[in-house]
Amino acid sequence: MELEQALFHYFQFNTFRKGQREVIDSILSGQDTIAMLPTGTGKSLCYQLPGYLLKGKVIIISPLLSLMQDQVEQMKALGEKRAVAINSFLLPFEKKQILQQLDRYKFIFVSPEMLGTELIVSKLKELDIALLVIDEAHCISQWGYDFRPDYLKIGQVRKALNRPLTIALTATATEEVRHDIAKYLQLEKWKEFVFSVDRPEISIGMEIVGHQEKQKRIVELVESLEGPGIIYFSSKKIAEQMASKLRDRGQQVMAYHGGLDQEARVLIQQQFIHGQLNIVCATSAFGMGINKENVRYIIHYHMPLQLESYLQEIGRAGRDGKNSLAILLYTPGDEQLSIQLAEGEIPDREQINMLFHVIEQQQLSLTKITENEELFIRSCGFSETQWRIVANYIASRESMKPSEVKEKFYHYITERLRIKKEKIAMVLEYLQYRGCKRTFILNYFKEKAASVKVNCCSSCGLDLNDFQKNTNLTHANTQNYNWEQELASMLLK
Amino acid sequence: MAISYRDAVFLYCLKQIKDERSIYSLFHLFQGKKSSQTIQDAHLYKLTPFFRALPLITRIELETIVKEFVSRGFLEQVASENFVLTIEGETELNVFQKCVTIPPKFLEGWKYHHLTTLFWERLSLLVQVSSNLINKNKGFIPIQNKQETQEWFKKFLKMQNANRYELAEQLYIELTECLHQEKSIEPAVLVLRLTGHNKIGLTSEQAAERLDMTTTHYHLEFLNILHYMIKTVSTMRNDFPLLSSLVQDVQKEVPLTLSTEKTFQLLDKGYVPNEIAAMRNLKMSTIEDHIVEIALHVKEFELNRYVHPDIEKRIMEVASKTSAKKLKQIRDQVDGANYFEIRLVLARNGGQKWN
Repeated sequence: MELEQALFHYFQFNTFRKGQREVIDSILSGQDTIAMLPTGTGKSLCYQLPGYLLKGKVIIISPLLSLMQDQVEQMKALGEKRAVAINSFLLPFEKKQILQQLDRYKFIFVSPEMLGTELIVSKLKELDIALLVIDEAHCISQWGYDFRPDYLKIGQVRKALNRPLTIALTATATEEVRHDIAKYLQLEKWKEFVFSVDRPEISIGMEIVGHQEKQKRIVELVESLEGPGIIYFSSKKIAEQMASKLRDRGQQVMAYHGGLDQEARVLIQQQFIHGQLNIVCATSAFGMGINKENVRYIIHYHMPLQLESYLQEIGRAGRDGKNSLAILLYTPGDEQLSIQLAEGEIPDREQINMLFHVIEQQQLSLTKITENEELFIRSCGFSETQWRIVANYIASRESMKPSEVKEKFYHYITERLRIKKEKIAMVLEYLQYRGCKRTFILNYFKEKAASVKVNCCSSCGLDLNDFQKNTNLTHANTQNYNWEQELASMLLK
Repeated sequence: MAISYRDAVFLYCLKQIKDERSIYSLFHLFQGKKSSQTIQDAHLYKLTPFFRALPLITRIELETIVKEFVSRGFLEQVASENFVLTIEGETELNVFQKCVTIPPKFLEGWKYHHLTTLFWERLSLLVQVSSNLINKNKGFIPIQNKQETQEWFKKFLKMQNANRYELAEQLYIELTECLHQEKSIEPAVLVLRLTGHNKIGLTSEQAAERLDMTTTHYHLEFLNILHYMIKTVSTMRNDFPLLSSLVQDVQKEVPLTLSTEKTFQLLDKGYVPNEIAAMRNLKMSTIEDHIVEIALHVKEFELNRYVHPDIEKRIMEVASKTSAKKLKQIRDQVDGANYFEIRLVLARNGGQKWN
């Protein structure tokens, strides 16, 4: 079958998007591949289509549980029943059931921490693997903004699986990160594809506003800009506050963050996709894996922690190729909040002292550390993220002396914090840069200057009037609710 | 300032437990903790409707509410964790109860806590899938993404004999029939949350706002309507074949807690409480808690294996005279009865009446 025919057959698309064809050709010719494709260009198609054309299973390693769940749901929604996710969301009996019938599935998503268990790896070994996919592969590199220690195991697992054909996908990776990817995956020969991170259809704005005026400015923007839009926040609380303020002004808006229950998360995502909501006030938990073509603007209420995540987040606008807007609101001093957040994600010195104190006192072996999760979380006050870092760090150093591990761990967190602070400093530099914002970002990713002529960025000139809404505010439906009619419209034809 | 719905619920529950239980017993009740103590208290103070009714409550929220009540003059502190309603507190509650029934008419937390979520997840998925099926829309994201629920649903759908149109119509008929039967419920509380082929349901927060209710009020009304439906469809299986099949596979009895289950098995084999305590390396008082729990739930439980019929009779006499359920008062008046015996007799004789 011609590749285009296959594309239509499996996905009902007529043409490939930028980069997809090259990457897929490379895989189908049997070469290990590293591909850097911008967000919103259909990265997942790059392994799904070859998956259909190759005989055997496709194993996908994906870092975020919610993202993995979304991808499986989307595949199922497209009619692919043979997709499954193996992660810590599964109850023991579900996991057992799936593992027993693993051969039934074609697309098997595995979370990196699951790769640490013998059982899973031995089950994977029994399969005929056509393609190993590493999604968000930048997580493997310490230079990456999302470094996940679990990802370091992938190289060993790949070896244990007899080095199957491998593709590493990422939206953003500098040269050193791509180098790390090849090294840790133990690739010998590979092809590399780098497509520009530039999204000319997105205009990049930045405004300096006083602390007091921020919320007022958001209201102004939201009331004048053509939606739908996403507003990103670093704090759940402020996201909630802003959503409720906008709702009072008649907007169709909800807050979305990790504190919501599973059902509410699905509903809000779907309401947004179906146009029942015009705006989502979100934390970074929102967006990954959401396919909405017509997002017209992305506003950042707080500054992002890295340029990489900024690029990912604004990349959710304009997937339909139409002009869209990104605006970052900056108040001098915002970087203090960023630093606090960064520090909070990493265990501090005192917590580590406490950890090893408890280990010594209770004479626990390092191999038993995850069994005593509750004890440590309670006594050292670790957050979920902090605990994950601790457990991972120690798990790979079980055979060493505790005192030695402690010293190394100190060094490790100091280094991690340094990297995070550097990232924040880079964002700050970006914000203060008076030249072309787009060029700054592209240069950061080692690309040449851009060539957007109209509404490039707030430095080159950006006219917000071009993003005004034409339609008047549609009023919220306040008519009487007729439950029987609603039921009938759902269930009767 | 008038009291809110949430205030009224807390005042009501505090009134029930009087100063005989700590305020934290309510925390366990709302969370639905499956301990013998919580289960017995729920029965003793007629608070079974509220079992697991507010599972997201935190200790701090509870403390804040109690503090507020004290400063508004609704509560008076009698011990570090025990409070009584003042006359103002009682009045406020009475005024509120003239307009709104507390607890909601059909709320039965203890009886249905293990079915509530299950019923909702399956029902909402059934509506969404049926609606999408009749509109020939295959590409939709299921709003319930628990693997367990989805697996169950696949099997359920395979077992249906009706075609997609008949299935959706049957569902419509049963839902409208069920929701019409009872005038005191507000069907919108449920229907607003449902997702169809081109309309995504509201979150509980959105539905509350839409109906102009506080979140606590909405949440209890939502549970109320689910409990009403579970009760109605499972007592009238013939009228609601489709809806009743949503919870048919689930064990009907409320299971014993795990630890109690073990004790129960050992008792069944003929071991006495002392032996069981030694075997399981548990305190005697824990085993006694287990036996009281068994007395509450197991019909075949032989009370007189543990309490002499004479003592049982005397305990019941005293208990019916004193309104308070304070064990100490009863023990003071019944010579030779210990706390264990009193609790057992109350559980056995009151338990059935309360259930």
